[in-house]
Amino acid sequence: MKYAKWTILTLLALTVIGFFHYTLPQHDIVRVVNTYQERQDLNDWTRIFWSSPDDQSGTLVNRDVQFIQTVKANGKPMVYRNEDTSWSWPPYFKFDTANLQTEAEDLKSTAAAPQWVSVTHYGWRIVYFSAFPNAISIKPVDGPDATIIPWFNIFFFVFLAVILLVLRRMWLQFRERSIDPVLEDMGEAWDGVEDRADAAAGRARGVWGRFRAWLGTWKGKPRP
Amino acid sequence: MIAFVRLAVFGFIAMTIMYVLLSIYSRSVERERLEKEWDAERGGGESDARDAYIEAGMKTYEKSLRAKLIWLVYVVPTLAVLVLIYLTN
Repeated sequence: MKYAKWTILTLLALTVIGFFHYTLPQHDIVRVVNTYQERQDLNDWTRIFWSSPDDQSGTLVNRDVQFIQTVKANGKPMVYRNEDTSWSWPPYFKFDTANLQTEAEDLKSTAAAPQWVSVTHYGWRIVYFSAFPNAISIKPVDGPDATIIPWFNIFFFVFLAVILLVLRRMWLQFRERSIDPVLEDMGEAWDGVEDRADAAAGRARGVWGRFRAWLGTWKGKPRP
Repeated sequence: MIAFVRLAVFGFIAMTIMYVLLSIYSRSVERERLEKEWDAERGGGESDARDAYIEAGMKTYEKSLRAKLIWLVYVVPTLAVLVLIYLTN
């Protein structure tokens, strides 16, 4: 039972962490090497890793997707997809895919003369499912060691904590003002039942009980 | 366009739920404050004067700035979306 509880709690925590890790923006420092466009099949479950940039795209079996090929400072490749999120989930409200593709094209550089850029993105690169993170914005940085402070995520988690505290406070107030009084009334009603039960028991003691009590009064008091 | 309508509708529902919860909470806190104020100044116990005092206090609260600030529940997320749209694009 203990293991079941911890397994469920761990799965729950992993789901929540995974959800935030997938959805919240992250920054990579990379070097853009190329961009391309490729037709993607969208008719199986991996559809969840692609956007629905417009209403029609939700029903399409395949469509063209733009990609940005990059290399990280450690030499490992990273490929981003470049899709609108529009008004759909996740709420990035990205409409400027074509502009972003142009900026990426403009920032292309070689290993000999690298131009490092910070790519803001969400999502995961999962090679087995051909899943790509979606690039949100791109901007040049000084070098591969540039520090980027995730202001949005800091603000987001502070805001989330405030919301959770407010909801907790609301619940406590509701319990104090609306549930506890009812429980108290119920407790008082129960006390009433117990009093009546005691009284009934007293009556049931009857003549014999009162006689024994009278006998008790004859018992010697303990001497000091 | 359907996606926009969906966002607007669900956003409105979420903001309304938050608005209702917040206004109930804020009213409850104000009522508790009024009750405690009365009890501290003139002792506890139920009475018509106490009820009248609390009702009058609640009427004042309904017109107060704090009660009106709860409308920010609708304003702030809408502004946040507009700012996000501007910053992303």
